[in-house]
Amino acid sequence: MLPTAKNLNFLLTLLFTASIFFSSCSDKGKDDEPGDKAYSIYILGKDGREWITPADSLSGGIIYPERQGAPLNIREIDRDIIVRNGFYYRLNWKNKRFYKYRLAGGAFEKTDSVTLKDFSIENFRWLGGDTLLLTGLKTPDFAEVRYFLLKASDLTLISQGSMDIARPSGRFSSMSIGFAEPKGDKLLLGYTYHQQLGGSDYTTSDTTYITALKYPEMSALETQKEFRSTYPAGINTVQSYTFYDEQGDFYFMSCPGIALGNRPDVHTGIFRIRKNALQTDPDYFFDISASRINNHAYGLWYLGNGQAIIRSERKDLYKGLGDHYSTAHFEFYLLDLKAQTVKKLDLPLDKGTRRECVIVDKGIAYIAVNSTKEGNFVWLYDISKGTLRKGLQLAGETDFIMRIDRLH
Amino acid sequence: MKVDKDLIEKYHRQECTAEETEAVEQWLFSGESDEALQLPAGEDKAKHKAGLWKEISSILPEEDDLSGTAATAGTSAHIKRYLTIPGFWTGTIAASVALVLVAFTFYHFGGSGQSGDQFVSVDNHSAVDIRHIRSADYDISVGPNTKGLIDRNSGTIDLSGSMVITPSRDVELTFGQGHEKITFKTGETYIVLNDLDGKGRIIIVNERNLTDLPPVIQKQIINQFKI
Repeated sequence: MLPTAKNLNFLLTLLFTASIFFSSCSDKGKDDEPGDKAYSIYILGKDGREWITPADSLSGGIIYPERQGAPLNIREIDRDIIVRNGFYYRLNWKNKRFYKYRLAGGAFEKTDSVTLKDFSIENFRWLGGDTLLLTGLKTPDFAEVRYFLLKASDLTLISQGSMDIARPSGRFSSMSIGFAEPKGDKLLLGYTYHQQLGGSDYTTSDTTYITALKYPEMSALETQKEFRSTYPAGINTVQSYTFYDEQGDFYFMSCPGIALGNRPDVHTGIFRIRKNALQTDPDYFFDISASRINNHAYGLWYLGNGQAIIRSERKDLYKGLGDHYSTAHFEFYLLDLKAQTVKKLDLPLDKGTRRECVIVDKGIAYIAVNSTKEGNFVWLYDISKGTLRKGLQLAGETDFIMRIDRLH
Repeated sequence: MKVDKDLIEKYHRQECTAEETEAVEQWLFSGESDEALQLPAGEDKAKHKAGLWKEISSILPEEDDLSGTAATAGTSAHIKRYLTIPGFWTGTIAASVALVLVAFTFYHFGGSGQSGDQFVSVDNHSAVDIRHIRSADYDISVGPNTKGLIDRNSGTIDLSGSMVITPSRDVELTFGQGHEKITFKTGETYIVLNDLDGKGRIIIVNERNLTDLPPVIQKQIINQFKI
């Protein structure tokens, strides 16, 4: 029997209503899974509260973290985190546990954890699949290089131990590891040593050390002493200082400025280690401090095609370490790595000493800027056109955008 | 060994032998009254002692091993995430704990108030060890090679070096003369240290925001204070 017009009308109405119902259900489901969103933004609020807020896009719009973000337990979480494939990882240095978190239903929740005894992370490196290499120092003396290799999926430990790296000696009492990079069956470790000068003051050796370790034995094969600059790279759970270019060459920036090495007499510069080499390229050193920047810099991000962005300080605007964090004095420069030229990006002065604040995606560099005068925005730098525009605004209780990450 | 005024002054000048130092410190922190002090007939020694300690306990620390007592619970900090205060350290220590005790003794028993009794020195001359001090309002761990002076009248602390403060109630403290009072909240732990610029500027950071400090300083603080 053919349906009458009345029945057909009823049927269509039913189908339409059902489609709206299911569509709204699926939309709701999507909203309930903030971990599915493309980006993650870590916010420090004006009153000390913190949030992680997911975002589909950084290109525009406005986010109020107090309404849209997942509140963080500030006694457990800080911004020294590893973000990958919808999950967050962090070592709680107080209770020695390495936690895995995710965003779910508007909350930032733990999913797993493992104890990493007497350990402080200096560097993380994904080694293919979900294998995570954590390189760091034995606590509380920070004088012995240790590592943990683990499976991120279930946080099972694959191996752990000490690396064959000389402990600080003579006037040096602690050390910093800037990078740990695999090179075939070897691991390259960049590091330096520190001297305490009494009270809270310190200084850093004028030498960058790069040791090639046999992997996975972690026994030392050779060590290069690099004197052109010191404090190689840095703790990359907080900020990036290294990258690989399209040829597989590895670049890292030294950070002797007051905020890291505290050797302001030494120049900040960028080194290169060729794809098949175990030492720095003697013919390459991009002297940042000698360029028109004429300052130290911290933070390095690769845009592709021989271009990178660095974040440099303005020593004429801050008084000391105490206001280095709160004063807006950071500038962003575009670097041509081959020609060794610099170009200032027309952005407001930024604040926050160390921040993971640049994401490069599909020809756009997203740059999070905390401006005292203009507010907190993600800016979009179109790499091919060389143009800048304001994107997403972080408003409401936002004081600092502490980091932006690709979540997926 | 008899602890008298000469020995205390010698202690203050840091000229004591190890044995003399131990004797003075035992006397200082023993809680026993000094037999050299003779009360007028009919006066209750215990009453005077209790009154004396009540008076000074709000600012005057008693030595105590507080290792492992860092508070972990409480309200969130009112303090800004990272505070800095311009320099003030004058380099002069007005009085040691010993002399303050003597001054209080004179004030209460002799009736002759002295101008130096408002200051409490919390120096730590050790190059390695932490000095733990407890008062009614806060616990302090004084870092190695640190000079500190508390003005109990104004709630002002002059500092050259580093210290970790854990308030047992909300307290307002000023670091350096003429600077704004800062609220230190119950249950929080604060790290106070000199800036690196050599001008004596002070940085105050909540322990849970240790990441805001340079990593090398973080390491020194964790290593020194075992936090």
